[in-house]
Amino acid sequence: MSFLVRCPNCGERGVYEFRFGGEARPRPMPQAGDAEWLTYNYVRQNEAGVQKEWWYHRAGCGQWFLARRNTVTNDVLETFFPEEQSHQ
Amino acid sequence: MSPPQGNQITIFFNGKLVPAYESDTVASALYRNGVRIFSRSFKYHRPRGLLCVGGNCPNCLMNVDGVPTVRACITPVHQDQQVKHQNAYPSLERDYLAIAQRFDWLMPVGFYYKTFTHPRVWHFVEPRIRKVAGLGVLPEPDGQPAPEYDHAFAQADVVVIGGGPAGMEAAVESARSGGQITLIDERPELGGHLRYERAGADKARELAQRLKALPNVEVLSNASCFGLYEGKLLGIVQRRPFGSPVRERLIHLRAKHIVVATGMYEIPRVFQNNDLVGVMLRTGVQRLIHQHAVKPGNRAVVVGPGDPVVEDLRSAGVEVAAVVDVADVLAAVGKLRVTGVRTKTGVIACDLIVVCGERVPHAGLLSQAGAKLEWDEGRGAFIPTGLPSHVAAVGEVTGESLAASRSPTHYSSAKKSFVCYCEDVTSADLEYAIDEGFDHIETLKRYTTVTMGPCQGRMCALPSIGICARQTGRSMGDTGTTTSRPPNPSVSLGALAGPRHHPVKRTPMHYEHDALGAVWMDLGEWKRPRYYKQQDTSEEKACVEREYRAVRERVGIIDVSTLGKLLVTGKDAPQLLDRIYTNRLSNLREGWARYSVVCDDSGIILDDGTVSRLSADEFFVTTTTGNIDFVKQWMEWWAAGTGWCVHVTNVTGGFAAVNVAGPHARDLLKHLTDCDLSIETFPYMAARRANVVGIDCLLMRLGFVGETGWEIHYPAENGAALWDEIVRHGKEFGLQPFGVETQRILRLEKKHVIVGVDTDALSNPLEADMAWIAKLDKDDFIGKAAIVRAQARGMRDKLVGFVMQDALIPEDGSAIMLDGKPVGRVTSARFSPVRGTAVGLAWVPVEAAADGHQIQVHINGQAARAQVVLEQFYDAQGKRLKM
Repeated sequence: MSFLVRCPNCGERGVYEFRFGGEARPRPMPQAGDAEWLTYNYVRQNEAGVQKEWWYHRAGCGQWFLARRNTVTNDVLETFFPEEQSHQ
Repeated sequence: MSPPQGNQITIFFNGKLVPAYESDTVASALYRNGVRIFSRSFKYHRPRGLLCVGGNCPNCLMNVDGVPTVRACITPVHQDQQVKHQNAYPSLERDYLAIAQRFDWLMPVGFYYKTFTHPRVWHFVEPRIRKVAGLGVLPEPDGQPAPEYDHAFAQADVVVIGGGPAGMEAAVESARSGGQITLIDERPELGGHLRYERAGADKARELAQRLKALPNVEVLSNASCFGLYEGKLLGIVQRRPFGSPVRERLIHLRAKHIVVATGMYEIPRVFQNNDLVGVMLRTGVQRLIHQHAVKPGNRAVVVGPGDPVVEDLRSAGVEVAAVVDVADVLAAVGKLRVTGVRTKTGVIACDLIVVCGERVPHAGLLSQAGAKLEWDEGRGAFIPTGLPSHVAAVGEVTGESLAASRSPTHYSSAKKSFVCYCEDVTSADLEYAIDEGFDHIETLKRYTTVTMGPCQGRMCALPSIGICARQTGRSMGDTGTTTSRPPNPSVSLGALAGPRHHPVKRTPMHYEHDALGAVWMDLGEWKRPRYYKQQDTSEEKACVEREYRAVRERVGIIDVSTLGKLLVTGKDAPQLLDRIYTNRLSNLREGWARYSVVCDDSGIILDDGTVSRLSADEFFVTTTTGNIDFVKQWMEWWAAGTGWCVHVTNVTGGFAAVNVAGPHARDLLKHLTDCDLSIETFPYMAARRANVVGIDCLLMRLGFVGETGWEIHYPAENGAALWDEIVRHGKEFGLQPFGVETQRILRLEKKHVIVGVDTDALSNPLEADMAWIAKLDKDDFIGKAAIVRAQARGMRDKLVGFVMQDALIPEDGSAIMLDGKPVGRVTSARFSPVRGTAVGLAWVPVEAAADGHQIQVHINGQAARAQVVLEQFYDAQGKRLKM
């Protein structure tokens, strides 16, 4: 695994500069039922294709950002801060 | 032949002096001095001599300067080089294990899948096979400094792999764009196949000069590209890089465009005894003659279309006895060396057989790039097609120079017609395996191990596919190839590991601890004192006992600078902390500290620590040693995208910290500060800023070890100064520095949990006996829903304290038994001086979590008796730490 990730702050860097933060998925409302919390905690889409996910620039600016990456080809299609919206 | 280039030097072969020239390789120097047997084969220990002279076969593998299994034919010599043979005892000429050849009928391909099946037989045989198998031997440590390796990271606009004419021209062409060009070449000199073609040397030199004159071109010689990885990353190993003492440098080279110009290479023909010493490939002979001015033999027979090698041989003074078509060759003749060729018409005497073999594009890197290898019947080769947009192929590797039509290849089925030189696999072996049913190229490879030796299939992939196709009646295209994977060629583990760095974190008081006789331990990357040696003893048990008694009876000091420390500031800091921690922190008053845990949304404890409020929007947070990076990132993730005004700053390295604890802690500290430390003014859990011996500190009255004490945080640059002052003034009070081991005992007597030791990935606050720490009446915090659910569901296991009733001390992790069945485990256990027996924390089923309940602890194979104790082992009322 040696693809490049474009940090929205710092530009294109090797993937090992970053910490992978998992699939981006919406957190249930506090009063949601057991089934919803169970799914949130333990179940993943595990998409073979484009996935929205979190990255942390560990060896750089120390910011969390989102990426859309094709998990099959490891093409990182776009990266953006959570405040910004995805362009898709 | 012109004489060899460069000065004369000396090398050593098996301890004997061998004269050589600077331009020699190990193989050319040895060959010039009469060495003909270079190795013994893997399985049968057949004598093997130079074959390809180009780094593609296993025949010349030797031990060079202590490194085993080095390809002698591409390794340059240097003064005083030490070369030894391997895999032959006592010598290459006379190898005892060659007796294996007499038993070849007992060892057909795959024999080990059908024999040694009885466990007792296998256990007897396996260590013996292990001793005789293998090729090289790793050097024993001998007190010499170990070789050095390093890593480099580079990038280029265009990387050209291969320094032959096509590669050099591609580099010159690419350089016109003005970008950064890097050319990688495996050999010490550029030129590729020009170097071994008659009159090629001049053209090679001229091209190389033109290339090196370009300012934006970098040439890396003696560098092999072993892999093309995701993201256009190339893995390169450069041997003995100029100006550096390292043996090998691993270069991570990132490219925008890649040009593969790795050329073609020649492979042997398959006929009986084709592995005899004295059978050499045409290109091998050409290398010996044109690169090294070595006469390859006296009388040669050329097999296959002979031009131009016939002229090369004659120019070197070798008599050419005949040129024979490969279809007419029945066998090579000779025992330790070639003495002739047997053809359909008789034996032709010779001492050298020059085989004009098939030429194969060196397309491994292109396969790794995603190219498909398609069989071209006309050219008789697998040609790379379908390259991705960032990779181009130029020169011989494209297969363009192969004749558009060629005669079909002949693979002999006579015995001892070797296909795989590395693994001693013959054509008969392949046919046998196919008959057994391993008729798919992938299973044939795995069953026979063909292509799985050091040459990584370079020599034998094509013939094994050809034989498989012939036996199964499939076309070459349908038979297909196996997958080419990096690293190819192989790369040493030393190069991959790189420089031997062992990063270590030291607190600001590290050398003070040294001076006090600290015995060190590693806690993650940190060095911490485990205990301090006493004047009269350095035995751990005795020293720890002294430290323990000092803290319980007088006063002790421990360096806790390794704690993670954060400043969480901003008007939304209280909101973030309330969200992250299970406890309520937004109502914490200025000047106070509170203990809390961090949970995840499944209610599992991730970390614990203290939070002190410095002002309305400033909090000082501590975390478990080693967890700081995680907690900081966790907080920042939860704040990301919320728009909250909050900043989280890691100040771990900026602050030193000590814990001064014991009944006389106040008596000691009050002399060092103006701050009123009395119980009324500075009660338990207060956190005040104060000046201590002129240093601005944050003092927190906490009780991890269960005595009156203060955790003092102060700027790291004052680390040693404050420590020294406290130690100096502490003499009067019998102050004893104490280490991690003593602290573990002290805190265990108070049942203070260490996250990650006493808790794990299944521990929630309810079951870890910390129900009070989850404030369920708070607005949502991380883990609230899960803890509420856990409460409703009821507990299954519980973390409880226990005392041993038998005089044994369990190890951390020992099993807890009920009715002879393991039901839980001990997380921490130590001998408790105050109880006179061992105590500990353990996870037990909730039915057993009642005060006084009998449990058993599995120690050294016996079930030792213990009893659950729900209150703290020492000062259960908690009076001491509030004094």
